[in-house]
Amino acid sequence: MKNRLVWRGFVVVGACLPLAGAQHGAPLPSAVPGGALTPRDSAFHALNRLAYGPRPGEVQRVAAEGVMRWIDRQLSPDGIDDRRLAQRERQFEILQHDRGDLAALYTAAQRARRERKLAGATDTMADKDAATPIAQRGRRLAGEFADLAVVRAALSERQLYEVMVDFWTNHFSVYFAKGADRFLTPDYLEHTIRPRAMGKFEDLLIAVAQSPAMLFYLDNWQSVAPGAAPPFPFSARQRGGQGVRPRPTGINENYARELLELHTLGVEGGYTQQDVIDVARILTGWSIERPQQGGDFEFQGWAHDRGEKHVLGVRFEGGHDMDEGIRLLRLLAGHPATMHHVSRELCQRFVNDDPPDGCVDDAVAAWKRSSGDTREVLRAIFHAPEFWAAENVRAKVKTPLEFVVSAVRATAAEPDTSPRLARVVARLGEPLYLHVAPDGYPEREAAWVNSGALLDRMNVAVALAAGNLPGVTVVLDSIVALGDADQLIGVVNEKILGGTMSENTKQVLRRQLAGTSEPMQARALAVGLAIGGPEFQRQ
Amino acid sequence: MTISRRVFVKSGGLALFSVGLDPLFLARAAFAVRPAARPADRRILVCLFQRGAVDGLNMIVPHGDPIYYRERPRIAVPEKDVLDLDGYFGLHPRLAALKPLWDAKTLSAIHAVGSPDATRSHFDAQDYLESGTPGVKATPDGWLNRYCQHDREHQDTPFRAVAFGPQLPRILAGTAPSLAIDDLQAFGMRAPQPAARDRLTRAFEELYAGSATGLLATSSREAFEAVQTLKRLDPGQYRPANDADYPRGKLGKAMLEIAQLIKADLGLQVAFADVTGWDTHVNQGATEGQLAGRLGELGQALAAFTRDLGERMRDVVVLTLSEFGRTVRENGNSGTDHGHATAMLVLGGPVNGGRVLGKWPGLDPAQRFEGRDVAVTTDFRDLFAELLARHLGARDLSAIFPGFVADSERFPGAIRG
Repeated sequence: MKNRLVWRGFVVVGACLPLAGAQHGAPLPSAVPGGALTPRDSAFHALNRLAYGPRPGEVQRVAAEGVMRWIDRQLSPDGIDDRRLAQRERQFEILQHDRGDLAALYTAAQRARRERKLAGATDTMADKDAATPIAQRGRRLAGEFADLAVVRAALSERQLYEVMVDFWTNHFSVYFAKGADRFLTPDYLEHTIRPRAMGKFEDLLIAVAQSPAMLFYLDNWQSVAPGAAPPFPFSARQRGGQGVRPRPTGINENYARELLELHTLGVEGGYTQQDVIDVARILTGWSIERPQQGGDFEFQGWAHDRGEKHVLGVRFEGGHDMDEGIRLLRLLAGHPATMHHVSRELCQRFVNDDPPDGCVDDAVAAWKRSSGDTREVLRAIFHAPEFWAAENVRAKVKTPLEFVVSAVRATAAEPDTSPRLARVVARLGEPLYLHVAPDGYPEREAAWVNSGALLDRMNVAVALAAGNLPGVTVVLDSIVALGDADQLIGVVNEKILGGTMSENTKQVLRRQLAGTSEPMQARALAVGLAIGGPEFQRQ
Repeated sequence: MTISRRVFVKSGGLALFSVGLDPLFLARAAFAVRPAARPADRRILVCLFQRGAVDGLNMIVPHGDPIYYRERPRIAVPEKDVLDLDGYFGLHPRLAALKPLWDAKTLSAIHAVGSPDATRSHFDAQDYLESGTPGVKATPDGWLNRYCQHDREHQDTPFRAVAFGPQLPRILAGTAPSLAIDDLQAFGMRAPQPAARDRLTRAFEELYAGSATGLLATSSREAFEAVQTLKRLDPGQYRPANDADYPRGKLGKAMLEIAQLIKADLGLQVAFADVTGWDTHVNQGATEGQLAGRLGELGQALAAFTRDLGERMRDVVVLTLSEFGRTVRENGNSGTDHGHATAMLVLGGPVNGGRVLGKWPGLDPAQRFEGRDVAVTTDFRDLFAELLARHLGARDLSAIFPGFVADSERFPGAIRG
């Protein structure tokens, strides 16, 4: 209830500030709003939040360019040259396959598995664990898919764009290991999320609602009006996906509920159980072609509920097929509760686990001005004084993905195309595209900071610095020259910790380095302790 | 603010910080300096969270009610397959491994148990189940953690409250120390030589003791204390007793490690693990199928755990919990949607076994919650409060379940008097 009162307040505030939108046409202020941070500190802060941490020397480059100018460039990713990443992407076989290819591979693997099962029943000596070549190929592509996310996050120059891809992937989370999502999720990333990550929320919402990956994950593809019957034999049609299944005979509320609760209004967004049911009815017929036909989105008129529906007090006259759903999604995308819910999530991601009200207000106001243009909402957040306030600097603990990618970037390490680095992220608690529940990975530190996970981070740091972390090549020579203890500590502090190394950390490093005579070992130890230590866990 | 443990110890605990706020890490620091009290009480509570909302009606089947069969033409467990318990309820056949425990009166089920809050959102309902405050989102800690906060008699060890998994669950979040262990054997710094391992451990311990703030400080301290203890335990050598056969997979591994910690006498009092795969919207199955597979694993894990612990089960209670139940009527996809009340199991020596507890509201549409779901007749807090009070000896239930008046008259009777 409280939230609703708050966003009602914003409507008024937004209306009173008609000039607020004009400032974006004007030249950007060169100084950081608030202005309490030094240019170097503000560059470090921006690189920690808008990017996956700085690479060696990047803090200085951003500070020299002017952090607000750098932010402005990041907000227009198309203008940033990203040839190096494009070159790396060519090494990923998965990007050369469209959904049809992957669907064909998936159904072939399923068929092979069924045949093996039959064969296994007669030949008890068959090795159950040995996979067919086609299954192996599928597994390799799946590994590539998770690794691609890590490689892009580490190497792209369009850092804010990659951060937003991760944000939306989490906001519209699907579970890769659920049946057909094994071949639908790569397409979901490439063609649903990535092209719209910096665009209008409404476009993204509609694209997600029509994405086979989401329709499958939250079961909407088989939600049908009670009593509706397909104009063809159903059992033949339903092969694939999770095998032969009985004909659906009614609505399934799963997607409808999460659409309201997670994707748009938020749990306190003021909807009722009857709203959930009517949303599900409106979306009956939003389904998927069978895999053999490519598994694309398909509106199945026969399954659509033609009755009248009411959602949030708005009447939806029956008989308008797919248009009802589009109208519903537009209604949800522009609803004040949605603006508040998503803006709050963005501020939680970029500013503080407990997002400051002022920042959320600014984001909501920008949302209203720009009709939900992600770039403008982000711009408002990065111009909010709260983003730069001292209490929000280093106030967030890195997620496992952020920790691993920032460590790779800090050491200028080169990830390979194997799934091994993505497995490191998984071991730390964040297997990509494998969050079972539709709420996505949490943004709060309490979810990530615990004794076991911290020890794992320390182990990863030590392995990375020693050149033993699977999936990456690290050459410390290029960033930290061999030297005596004080030199090493100085360089590590500057290049890896952005100058935030505490006195205690310096003392511990000094003591440890005093007991290490071999210079390569000393350097690896200094880097490993810095990355595994407490300062590097924060951003 | 940076607080070194050493400085903190010297300045005498909480007194220094008694003014104003009592943030999580400061309050936790207070535990580090509390002297160990009496020897470890051996009574233990193990909680298994069936995350995703288990279908209580297909776990503890009301096979004596024709409405059950009428509402579930495709997914009801056929009468001939149900393992009858009392003429009306029966076990799902894939829980057969639990039938001997039922007959030995160490296993009970509570039916129609759940939250007084009406939400059908997994996330809200899990949140309320774990915070122990249905309807209140702002509760910062979980009820198992609050139990640990308020029972300060208990010996303080890093292993008192342990969650098995990569993340600390909400139910154990809070100011009392608690550990998350994903793999007992791999817990700690990894280095080929023991000397290098010890040195790295010490170095990181000093880094975090001196420079970490907030949760990073408390979690790292708990980690290093546990590392020291486990070093002596050598978990790689563990072999289950009595040929206990744990199922492969996460649940079996977690139950094996819980048994191992219990037998190691490290002061474990509260253990927690997640079991997923219960959100059966589609093709739930009946005697066989998705849900049957999950129940089979659960039954096998509980049976193996009981065998492995043998005599020690005298002091142990295992509780299964889930955020809500599922619709009485099957949906259009041979599955079930989010419902209201569910069933929970209690197993162990102290359990008042061999009966289905709680008041059964019936399946008639008029008796259902909102006409579709099993109504809640036992507030889950009544069950949890009974386990804490009668099994673990908690005294101040009002502090553990704020806003709730625990009344032993309403306890479902899960623990033998």
